[in-house]
Amino acid sequence: MDSTPSSPREHLSSPVTRAVLRVQNAVLAATREFLSAQGFTELLPPVIGPVTDPGARGAKQVDVDYYGHRYKLMTSAILYKQASLTAFDRIFCIAPNVRLEPPETSTTARHLAEFHQIDVEIAGAGVGEAMDLAENLLPHVVKSVVTMPELVLLRRDVDTLNAVPNGAFGRRTHASVVTELHSLGHEQNPDGEIDWQAEVLLSSRATQPFFITSYPKGSRGFYDRESAENPGVLRNFDLIAPEGFGELCSGSEREHRYAEIVTRMRETGENPVKYGWYLDMVREGIPSSAGFGIGLERLTRYLCGLENVWQASAYPKLPGVASP
Amino acid sequence: MTLRAPGFPEQDVRVRATHGPAAIFPELTEYGTTLFGAVAESGDRLDSARLVPPSFMPRRLEKLIELGREPMYDAVDLTTSVGGFQSALPLYVSAFGSTRVASDDLGVAAARQAGRLGIPLVIGENVVPVNGYGRIDGATEKSLLARIRAYGEELGEHSGGVVVQQSTEDADAEVWNLVYSDPATQPLLDTGRLGLELKTGQGAKPGLGGMSVLDSTSAVADRFHVDTVFGTDEVLRCASPGTFTQEILRQQIRLMRNNYPRAKVWVKLPPARDVADAARTAWEAGADAVAVDGAEGGTGWAPTGFLAHVGLPLAECLRRLGESAGDLLVSGRMWEGTRVVKCLALGARAAGLGRAALLAADTDPVHGLENLVRCLELELRLLVSALGKYSAGAVSAEDLWWGDRAN
Repeated sequence: MDSTPSSPREHLSSPVTRAVLRVQNAVLAATREFLSAQGFTELLPPVIGPVTDPGARGAKQVDVDYYGHRYKLMTSAILYKQASLTAFDRIFCIAPNVRLEPPETSTTARHLAEFHQIDVEIAGAGVGEAMDLAENLLPHVVKSVVTMPELVLLRRDVDTLNAVPNGAFGRRTHASVVTELHSLGHEQNPDGEIDWQAEVLLSSRATQPFFITSYPKGSRGFYDRESAENPGVLRNFDLIAPEGFGELCSGSEREHRYAEIVTRMRETGENPVKYGWYLDMVREGIPSSAGFGIGLERLTRYLCGLENVWQASAYPKLPGVASP
Repeated sequence: MTLRAPGFPEQDVRVRATHGPAAIFPELTEYGTTLFGAVAESGDRLDSARLVPPSFMPRRLEKLIELGREPMYDAVDLTTSVGGFQSALPLYVSAFGSTRVASDDLGVAAARQAGRLGIPLVIGENVVPVNGYGRIDGATEKSLLARIRAYGEELGEHSGGVVVQQSTEDADAEVWNLVYSDPATQPLLDTGRLGLELKTGQGAKPGLGGMSVLDSTSAVADRFHVDTVFGTDEVLRCASPGTFTQEILRQQIRLMRNNYPRAKVWVKLPPARDVADAARTAWEAGADAVAVDGAEGGTGWAPTGFLAHVGLPLAECLRRLGESAGDLLVSGRMWEGTRVVKCLALGARAAGLGRAALLAADTDPVHGLENLVRCLELELRLLVSALGKYSAGAVSAEDLWWGDRAN
């Protein structure tokens, strides 16, 4: 399989792309079915706003001239997800995101400048509840697609998908993963995000999806809640797919207290003044919550067994590559 | 009959009584043509210290044995590592700030020469919000990317590096994200020669952020605090120094390492009374370098009171910092070799040229900075060899005499 997208016509009319997009369609239908049955309301997320999620590693946001105001295309729906809990207790959205990732990520096989997230937020929930939901949602989606003939066409080894357990995924802390990586001779920064090579390494050694929990504070955005018992550690998680496919999902219990959010904004180098509307809402009170975002194209790539995540997009945009 | 007050700064009081708050600043007419910074008629404590060579020089004997001849000053090795970069000299060009002085072609001229010299270059505060970003409105030669490109075009294979500052307001413009993700900077990233500097303050105005004077109709006015203190069409634009605690500094550095794993991380500190604590925090969090701007430093517009009375002098910063746990970079009135050698002797890894670099580029945009640095280079060789030592890092506190004032 080519490592870069072909022309739009060639890509869209290829039997592989058609099969992948049908699987993606089934993923969305299964996700909506599952979450709706659990009492979630689907909201349509905003595309632009005065501010967006700053928690994307080294990626530039896209500025939009909004009647003379500097607006941003959404890099994630996180701020709006928290705000939306003032309307409904359980919400989800299929959110488009744009992140101008560093060009080096064009060769990771798992970064797109434009992608979608299945974004879920639950009022009053802790990190455990969000993880429970994610580990129940994923098997539901897997079961919904595993018998599709498209997977045969894509030559996906479905034995590994059939081996995905019904919940109770493995859980490992960031600290223990760092220790393991060091023992494998990989120089992982203990204060930071699990790097891309390490993630592939861990994912390749796994036979089932698993969670990495409790990331250090300097690795994530201001909205991931810090543990009261274990300062410097966040109440968050990533869900890692097996077979080398890497991260599918990030989530956390959210910080919702005003003073803590302002302080954490400074710790993440942000200037609180630009978050005016969000901080006004937080100051007046928003519900505590937990939630997660699943990368739709990454999930599709995993389910279809694709070499590259761009194959899971109708109009793929690789970082640094100008394409339709 | 006019009231008189002999022995009292009568005239200064009258200026304030006449002009109001505008009078706490230097003359507005000097803005854009004058480089500001603390003025010390008689020099500061570093100036009064003397370099004192010994009679007995065991290191010279080592060099003599190595060379098989009496070592001359050309035997001094001045190459060093500066904040994660190889550098031809224990020098770097520090950020010029956003004043009108540095916004002209001088920034690009200085960048080009720094690249040729193979010494690191810091590109400074508010370059993006003031002058726009090169990628979007590609024409502007004043931009950040123009300086990076000019530096990169001249850079040799191994030494040097570009460091891009970001202050609290710059974060709104995502200066680092822009630089890190821009195709133009990839050659620097690929050779490990891009750095990012977290700006927490500056020498000229410890406790304050950058200040500049703008036309009130300027497009950037709405993104900063703006003061109409002058009572004219010109306004004072104030950046915030940002709020820092030990935990905020630690986490910001960790986030920089997390978000920009291929870039070096520098931290700029003001000459604050807890400069040693702040530097230790930065190094422990993984900073590749800590840059300290003595109160004698700075090019920027500042209230005259700050220029003369606020912040620790560089000598005192160095005393408080003591033995460094990482690369310490210092700036403040650097232009000739003795001050640089004194700072190296007190623990600095390299010295930053600010006003001197601007003046040199202003004197001769093509070779001015190179000429100035070549003077420095020869002085450094002469001074270090006079101390019986043969590398920039070998000078130490024993090489200094403070007169009757203990440091």
